[in-house]
Amino acid sequence: MKFEKRRATTKQEIPTASMPDIVFMLLLFFMVTTTLREVEVLVDYKLPEAEAIEKIENKRLISYIWIGKDKRIQINDSIVKLEEVQTIMYSKRQDLPNVIVSLRIDRNSDMGLVTDIQQELRKAYCLRINYSTNIKI
Amino acid sequence: MIKKRKIAQAEIPTSSMADIAFLLLLFFLVATVIDVDTGIGLTLPEYVEKPEEVVVDKSRMAAILINENGDVLVDGIPTSVFQIKNNLKPRIESKIELPSNKKLIISVKTDRKTTYNPYVQALDQIKLAYFEVRDEYSQGNYGSKFNDLALEEQDVVKDKIPIIISLAEPEAVKK
Repeated sequence: MKFEKRRATTKQEIPTASMPDIVFMLLLFFMVTTTLREVEVLVDYKLPEAEAIEKIENKRLISYIWIGKDKRIQINDSIVKLEEVQTIMYSKRQDLPNVIVSLRIDRNSDMGLVTDIQQELRKAYCLRINYSTNIKI
Repeated sequence: MIKKRKIAQAEIPTSSMADIAFLLLLFFLVATVIDVDTGIGLTLPEYVEKPEEVVVDKSRMAAILINENGDVLVDGIPTSVFQIKNNLKPRIESKIELPSNKKLIISVKTDRKTTYNPYVQALDQIKLAYFEVRDEYSQGNYGSKFNDLALEEQDVVKDKIPIIISLAEPEAVKK
């Protein structure tokens, strides 16, 4: 007498025909959400920490200003002087009327410099600012 | 007699499509920066050449002074940075029901030599105080946290508890 294993006769394969569709969908999602990093940060900085922080929802509205440990100011791709901040930011504001300026300032900078930059921003009518901080755990 | 002609079927090989898609997917996965920008948001006042002198009632003011050593004065009394929140909360709460021209104004003043970190810590404490008061008020009146309220309700709460922070210019004396 011959024994036969009882096996289901149905196919035991995962259907892979729709895999490209799924992959394309993921691909599209990432393509849409990606904002490629265009600037290279030239200054060295360490952000302060805070608890009551807010997220900036719209990444495309943000314009950054960095202040490094050595008190250098960076906007876009270059180191700028304090007097140049106003003109640069004013032209930025004309491209993006509701620009949010994210200030990435080293935690040991002097408030004098920070206030000077804020005054320049006020003159350039960039009034929405955000002190960039890390979350305190 | 008509010969049946074989019609060649032109096909594009699609078996490698998944591979190509995966490759692109990987590229975008790697290139995506997901980290969200977080920070303390503020709106600066407009620039005016000669600011008007406005006399503000002393009872509306909470003056926070930070000197170059990071010591904090709240209304002239030395306080630790982490006490600012507890100090401000009852004062904000006491002014919830007052009209909008009687709400608390918090003035933050620093020296030019003050470092940025204590300044941010102080701002953080102020914001925390306001957020907690807003949360408690929402919890008491609408039964949920401020962030979970409907937009109109949020506006009502914002109207009751506005965040007014005045950034005084540092004194140039110690330059």
